[in-house]
Amino acid sequence: MTNIDTEFPRESIAAPPLRWRELWLKEDWWAIWLGLGIVVVAYVFFANGASIRWIAVTPAKWSTLSQLGAHFAANYVRYIAQFVAWLAVFSIALTALGHKAREFIPSFIVLYVLSVIIFALGQWDKANTYNLEPPLVALVLGLLLSNVVGLPRWLDAGFRVEFYIKTGIVLLGATLPFTLIIWAGPVAILQASIVSIVTFQVIYWVGVKLGLDRRLAATLGAGGAVCGVSAAIAISGAVGGKKEDAPIAITVVIIWAIAMIFVLPFVAQYLHLPAGVGGAWIGTSEFADAAGFAAAQTYGNIASSGAVAGTSDQSVFAYTLVKVVGRDVWIGIWAFVLAIIATTQWERTETGRKPEAAEIWWRFPKFVIGFLVASLIITLVTTSYSLADFNKSVVPTLVAPIKDLRTWAFIFCFLSIGLTTRFRELAGAGKKPFLAFSAGAVVNVIIGFILSAIVFAAHWENLVR
Amino acid sequence: MRDETPQAQRQCRECRHFRNDAKYLETAFMGLTSLSSGYGSVRSDDGICVRHDRYLSARSSCPDFSLPAAHVDAGEI
Repeated sequence: MTNIDTEFPRESIAAPPLRWRELWLKEDWWAIWLGLGIVVVAYVFFANGASIRWIAVTPAKWSTLSQLGAHFAANYVRYIAQFVAWLAVFSIALTALGHKAREFIPSFIVLYVLSVIIFALGQWDKANTYNLEPPLVALVLGLLLSNVVGLPRWLDAGFRVEFYIKTGIVLLGATLPFTLIIWAGPVAILQASIVSIVTFQVIYWVGVKLGLDRRLAATLGAGGAVCGVSAAIAISGAVGGKKEDAPIAITVVIIWAIAMIFVLPFVAQYLHLPAGVGGAWIGTSEFADAAGFAAAQTYGNIASSGAVAGTSDQSVFAYTLVKVVGRDVWIGIWAFVLAIIATTQWERTETGRKPEAAEIWWRFPKFVIGFLVASLIITLVTTSYSLADFNKSVVPTLVAPIKDLRTWAFIFCFLSIGLTTRFRELAGAGKKPFLAFSAGAVVNVIIGFILSAIVFAAHWENLVR
Repeated sequence: MRDETPQAQRQCRECRHFRNDAKYLETAFMGLTSLSSGYGSVRSDDGICVRHDRYLSARSSCPDFSLPAAHVDAGEI
């Protein structure tokens, strides 16, 4: 018997069909409820002449420790209120999903305290000089704590990478004009589709040539071409992969994704890519949403420091359009098509399964709906404002506080990536899967660069201008 | 043990060899929570068949389908 056998008794772990219960039993929907809930509350305050700015507190810029101390002395009540608010909404959501509040609460306390420290460090006026970008600091600190110091497994209850990034993406929608999605979306979809299709073909072809099972090759291909680990497990399930396929894909995606977080922003900076171009390149080159946001946010911070042209928003918006709108939303179609191929070409009878077009919806990353709705809400309610009025009254009281809460959600996510990545515990990937995936990753980076920095350079450079 | 359950009900979802609880999958697939989750929509309701060591859609089926029983074979997993 393995640990998993004792932890999960038999015949109690086959979940019944979700149907409408998906609305409260899948984290995508909870990210929507939380994200849109915050947006609606923010708008209600705004419409009544107030703002949620008080609770959306963030560390201020500082140059001496006394300044930092004074900030916390003056605002500690706001931080406590914010902590309680995050704790309450996340506890409700995670308890509904089946997690234990008694494990989540102490874990989230650790996460929040570390996040405050990281956020404050990033606001130091010398932070850019020492490359102390909050996403990178969060990742390194998390990796050190989980791999060198060691943390008890139960603490993982509060380190919900995907939940935090999805909530952050919904909030990001509120800061991104819907008109921009309409205008820039088609190019993002075109660019991402080219990269996705080519990357998948390369990984699949190299994998099969190296002798990998076609289902494993497809699982790896989707991991590199669409949305990392999430795509890998979606495709592994769709094609009926072997039990060990998904863990192999998880290992290679994590290794490549984390390496790229540290490499891409600084290579982009070395090449003097404008913020929007760098963000688009990261969007076509990173596989996992959370890892990509860490890289894109880092490049945005580099742009904010004046090291490259453009703004932080340009990097994050370009990344979001390419990665979320251009790649993530197509996972259901990938799964449906590959399920057809698997059941008609690879194994006609083994799994006794008939692919259904409804799979496109079942596997659709629903949080994207929240992202689009949040964008639509804020765009519609602010449409009557002139640009000057928008910048003067809407941004500071409505958009900026939502953006600040988004930044918190992203820091929770970046820190959680490090805290949950234990390299010793990852499955051995083997040389062939790693080579196949690496071939696709290299092609991915090259084509992504050509499309972002040459073919569509003007488009991405002028995003949000 | 073969089962005489009607074909429509012989999906993996109803089989005693099938495991698709999100927490179970996060434990079985080490590293899953680092950049993803067992609770996401993209996973749909896929799970692990512990009889064939496959990761399958809950709508799959096979001749070894077996309804949950009080007494199961020892050493199956």
